[in-house]
Amino acid sequence: MGISIDWFAFVQVFAAALIGALLVVGFYAVGLRLLVRGGRAPIVAPVEFTDAITVISEKEARRAAKAAAKAAKKSPLADGQKRLARIGAYLSFALCGLAVLAGLSLIVLR
Amino acid sequence: METAALIVVLVIALALFFDFTNGFHDTANAMATPIATGALKPKVAVLLAASLNLVGAFLSTEVSKTISHGIIREDQIEPLAFLPIIFAGLIGAITWNMLTWLLGLPSSSSHALFGGLIGATLVGATASAIDFGMVLSKVVLPALIAPFTAGVIAFLATRLAYAMTRRYDNKPDGRDGFRWGQIFTSSLVALAHGTNDAQKTMGVITLALIMAGWQSGAHADPQLWVILACALTIALGTYMGGWRIIRTLGKGLTDVKPAQGFSAETSTAATILASSALGFALSTTQVASGSVIGSGLGRRGSKVRWRTVGRIAVGWVLTLPASAAVGAFAALLVVWFGGAGIVIDAVLAVAIIVALFLRSRRTHVDSSNAMSEVADSGLAVKVKRNPPPTRRQRALLRAERAQQKADRAKERAKNTAPRGKNSATAKPSPEKPTDRSTAEKSGAEKTGER
Repeated sequence: MGISIDWFAFVQVFAAALIGALLVVGFYAVGLRLLVRGGRAPIVAPVEFTDAITVISEKEARRAAKAAAKAAKKSPLADGQKRLARIGAYLSFALCGLAVLAGLSLIVLR
Repeated sequence: METAALIVVLVIALALFFDFTNGFHDTANAMATPIATGALKPKVAVLLAASLNLVGAFLSTEVSKTISHGIIREDQIEPLAFLPIIFAGLIGAITWNMLTWLLGLPSSSSHALFGGLIGATLVGATASAIDFGMVLSKVVLPALIAPFTAGVIAFLATRLAYAMTRRYDNKPDGRDGFRWGQIFTSSLVALAHGTNDAQKTMGVITLALIMAGWQSGAHADPQLWVILACALTIALGTYMGGWRIIRTLGKGLTDVKPAQGFSAETSTAATILASSALGFALSTTQVASGSVIGSGLGRRGSKVRWRTVGRIAVGWVLTLPASAAVGAFAALLVVWFGGAGIVIDAVLAVAIIVALFLRSRRTHVDSSNAMSEVADSGLAVKVKRNPPPTRRQRALLRAERAQQKADRAKERAKNTAPRGKNSATAKPSPEKPTDRSTAEKSGAEKTGER
């Protein structure tokens, strides 16, 4: 009695996971890049968990926010261009969310 | 028939307990990286994971069908005689799961379940009752391929995340924003965990219902009450087990950056969700570990610590045969002593559970000292503090040095031009601290990835 293995199913999983992951990461990264270009560098507030590593301190966060504001001021972009970059950023985040919803709906509707 | 009903009730109770331990054991998979990078507070992370595990359990039933209608050949066994075997298999799985959890050994709840069931079936029924083709294609091969797949995807995703956000002008790169993103991706991992792990218990309960004749074998879909019970139990286990399991976090994932964590989690969630849709019963622990290693390698200047990888892999490889051995032993008691064997198994199970519970009470674990098992895989990759520059960064450094050299030559030419009256008094121009060392220092600052 031979054992039949559906190798194509493994290829399908790899392809689907690869495309999904790259779309989500790609859109999110583009969104962040455009957000910075639009003069809004994200600085995430520190968390209260002493065991966590690489968590920036409040002082570091303030310094980073100051540096980001300074860099934004120096940005040669006009206000309209900055606004456009920000719209692009939010659009990218929305596309990232849509990619996830599309993936989930494919699983549910299967 | 009354005995059968009693055994079904025992199987359901034990399966739900397994589901609880599964949620208890696997919280770290979803929440290790966001807590490590500071994206979520542990308490919030655990609550979020519990809720999404609950939702995830309702999304798909393919994995459940693999177990209830795939790996065991119902036509090769006497249905009522098989019920105690399922019970023995569950005891094998739970015993191994609890033992590895308490000893801190790397293990997989899912493989413990399959191992227990297969071992018990081999001893309690016949080898022909197991569809080895199905075991190979839906359990063993996914176990070998999925961590590798997740690792490759995480590697590529990390590269993409860094490439997209890299700045060459020392301005903010926005990578801190990946911390926000991790709340979203860790939620996806929790959801994916619900779609795969909760279904394994649904599959076992459905198999028991089919064997008892309470559900038609032609309809392998789990009933709504089964889905609901399993979803609630795994969510409760996730919530209750959070602190204890997220234990080695602080020591383990010491070098996971937000961009890397985001990519690792996206890869884990994508791999588990795609596999769940096709009915592959995966170990979420192994997929998460593969992603953490892959994303670590995706950072520049990283190296694999093969000794750590080997230690983790040995733990994984041991899970299936070890839990099969425990399951087989439990089944052997049923074969030797019949009904008394079932009672011995039940007593043993209760004794193990109580003993482990009491043992676990000795060490107090809460949100301040909680750590994770998946975190070990973070140690498998060593990343340089100052990674080597990219090709473009090297080109920029070369251009900067050439510019500095040209400036110095110009300065020298300027100083040496009016030879004569000023030459005696002319002070040498102050040596600029630029040169190679400064250029390299600034280059290292520029290349230091966050």
